[in-house]
Amino acid sequence: MLKHRIIPCVLLKDWQLVKSIQFSSYRTIGHPIATVRVYNARNVDELIVLDIDASLNDEPINTEIITDIANECFMPLTIGGGIKSLEDVYTVLNAGADKIAINSKAITNPSFIREIATVFGSQCVVASIDIKKIDGVYRVYNKKMGIVDIDPVELACEYEAQGAGEILLTSVDRDGTTVGYDTELLQLFGNKITIPIIINGGMGNPKDSIEALLSGADALAAAYIFHFSQYTPDMIKKELAFHNFPVRLVKG
Amino acid sequence: MSDKIVIIDYGMGNLRSVQKAFEKVGADAIISNDHNVIQNSSKLVLPGVGAFKDAMSNLAELDLIDLLHEEVINKKKLFLGICLGMQLIARKSYEFGETEGLGWIDAEIIRFDFSDSPIELKVPHVGWNNVAYVNSSPLFENIPDNSDFYFVHSYYFASDRQYVTGITDYGVEFISSVQKKNIFATQFHPEKSQTHGLKIIENFVRLEGTSVC
Amino acid sequence: MKICTHCVMPDTKPDLHFDEEGVCDACRSQEAKNKKIDWDKRKEEFLQIINTNKKNSDYDCIIGVSGGKDSTFQVLKVKELGLNPLCICFEPTIPTEIGRKNLENLNNLGVDLIHVKRNPVVYKKLAREAIKRTGDCEWQNHLGIFTVVPHFAVKFNIPLIIWGESPQIEYGGPASSKTRNILDRQWLEEFGGLLGNRISDMIGVDGITERDLSLYMYPNDEDIHRVGVTGVFLGYYFKWDLREVLEQSSAHGFSTTVRPVETTYENFENLDCYSNHVHDYLKYVKYGFGRATDNACLDIRLGYISRESGVRLVNKYDGIPPRQAIEEYLKYTGFSRAEFNAIVDSFTNKKIFKRDEQGRFLKDIDGSLIRKEEYLVR
Repeated sequence: MLKHRIIPCVLLKDWQLVKSIQFSSYRTIGHPIATVRVYNARNVDELIVLDIDASLNDEPINTEIITDIANECFMPLTIGGGIKSLEDVYTVLNAGADKIAINSKAITNPSFIREIATVFGSQCVVASIDIKKIDGVYRVYNKKMGIVDIDPVELACEYEAQGAGEILLTSVDRDGTTVGYDTELLQLFGNKITIPIIINGGMGNPKDSIEALLSGADALAAAYIFHFSQYTPDMIKKELAFHNFPVRLVKG
Repeated sequence: MSDKIVIIDYGMGNLRSVQKAFEKVGADAIISNDHNVIQNSSKLVLPGVGAFKDAMSNLAELDLIDLLHEEVINKKKLFLGICLGMQLIARKSYEFGETEGLGWIDAEIIRFDFSDSPIELKVPHVGWNNVAYVNSSPLFENIPDNSDFYFVHSYYFASDRQYVTGITDYGVEFISSVQKKNIFATQFHPEKSQTHGLKIIENFVRLEGTSVC
Repeated sequence: MKICTHCVMPDTKPDLHFDEEGVCDACRSQEAKNKKIDWDKRKEEFLQIINTNKKNSDYDCIIGVSGGKDSTFQVLKVKELGLNPLCICFEPTIPTEIGRKNLENLNNLGVDLIHVKRNPVVYKKLAREAIKRTGDCEWQNHLGIFTVVPHFAVKFNIPLIIWGESPQIEYGGPASSKTRNILDRQWLEEFGGLLGNRISDMIGVDGITERDLSLYMYPNDEDIHRVGVTGVFLGYYFKWDLREVLEQSSAHGFSTTVRPVETTYENFENLDCYSNHVHDYLKYVKYGFGRATDNACLDIRLGYISRESGVRLVNKYDGIPPRQAIEEYLKYTGFSRAEFNAIVDSFTNKKIFKRDEQGRFLKDIDGSLIRKEEYLVR
């Protein structure tokens, strides 16, 4: 049976891995190599690393760090941040990533997803959408563009139609807060998307993971909880297993 | 014959990942499509991500189809096919029309189709899923039954049970690993499956030609 | 790379913030110590805490000690206030002779001392894995100190743990940490320098079992609540000046080394363990600043040296590989020099340090890395 995935999602900033808090401040997680080695030892299911220098400051994609990180990873690695062309995609995959995450470019040009999927395959495209709740309404948010006037569910459907393999949904409001995932946001999507949804932002304790899966998430991304609390990915999985959710627990 | 394992480069993705995994377990593996290098290899690995049609077309262009047949079928060289590499050993695939494969095992590659099914499963099948053993295989030595491995594919291998060594459930029960004498193949990606995946690679490295044929 | 305009700390230090004047928050914190804090009030608060935690008829508090200047000072301070502490020492990784001497000295101040000689076989396995995985050769020691003391607090039913300086107040850290006067499990996970690795992540390494690690597991919540264990930083209640601390400790028998310890210009810190110097060197290769920078920054903030002197000291002492400490470390761990160098290289900062065309780090005659132009300390 297919297992629900627990995926640490961290940011690369200035050659260090950091965690954001509501997209506005950052806390250092540590040296990329140390962090990836720890995650490897923890047998996490996948790893997502988003290069915010490339994404926000238009800096070139840091292929060196990506290669170093990929060399330590024996689980699927998704790299995102500043991917604007097919050449960027090629560069990142060549550096060792298995999947790429795109965000800004896809908002203004959703057909870019189709271009990537056609050449490299849908399975390597993770369409990333950041969402903020404004006046009780969920709006698409982009750190560079601000609030974008598109309905989040519509955008996700568009991405799916263009050939995205998965959707990474990040709640800006819950980011780094450990107050729990935004299950209301998840419920908006209902059955409208048929590709997997990875929810990101807010996991604070193992119980949050159960609520998120019950609300329609397929996989759970988190980071703050794994670095600044006593909870480990294994503890989250054990809680899920206890409640009969299929998860991967490594024995032997 | 050298002691180098050759990972065949036919332009279909993720070669370095596979090479890294071999390096991690201490084996010498090189990436190549050079005929001499392939002929001198100790073992062969055919990885792959992408479309079946493109893969077969690339293999043909590089003149590798006959060479592989000679090395693997005639000379019985130990072979490991991964993901698309497993699908290619089938007789034919139904991806984008019909395409002939290498034909080493009588099988067809068909797409997951849940349109008529009451369960809403997403395609591609992507994520960690467990492999239940069917007949023992040296590839799975010291790996517990029903361990999870990483899958990412929309098509799967369909054949009779003769060469099946592992099955996985995703809406349907599909074949996730096979062995026909010296030919081993996995639908999942051992190089992306961490501890157990690296064990698979290690087990393949340790195989002696005489123990399987 | 930005460097604080007041001290010499670079912005490559994790979580260090600079204000509009280019001054780092550790400097601001130090200023606040001198000007904005009512230390008499804080002392009162501390005496209150002691009163509310008087539970154990034999001991008033429990202190984690190494025999260093800080723990010697803590014992002196606590005894001055009329308290009877139980002292716990978690054996360092590679003990030195002077370290042992200073521990004896602390004992002779007149306190009960429990010297925890943890299972060396298990400890060495942890040490070998920790440096490979996290790049911190003292990871297991940080963890050990912060868990073994609460364990004894629970076992001896002593609620109050007294730690020394607050690292965040002295060295800077995330805003939320500055107001934390309590060291509890949450503090340990967030600020304890565990680098994301948890003790449970070490189970299975080289055959280590869960049982082997019981000393390193933080006591469970039930026991903590039953005893009412709480840990406070002495540095939060009493103004902490490292040279004053040194003076008082030395006046009571604390010994320093004749020459500066490796990796810095001081001769009075981290005397008890060789592995500490390797740790400081690893910090340098990862972040581009080492113990000499830490020492210079503190001395500048406390007004003992000027910034120019700080810059000179940093350029002279920071980053020189500690030869003796590395020798001892290799002997202890059994790593070959090549293995050790490979580990260090994997954590060395590619942004800061120069490399040749093959990607290998360039080294100076004394073995230190060479900084790129824009990362020189000025």
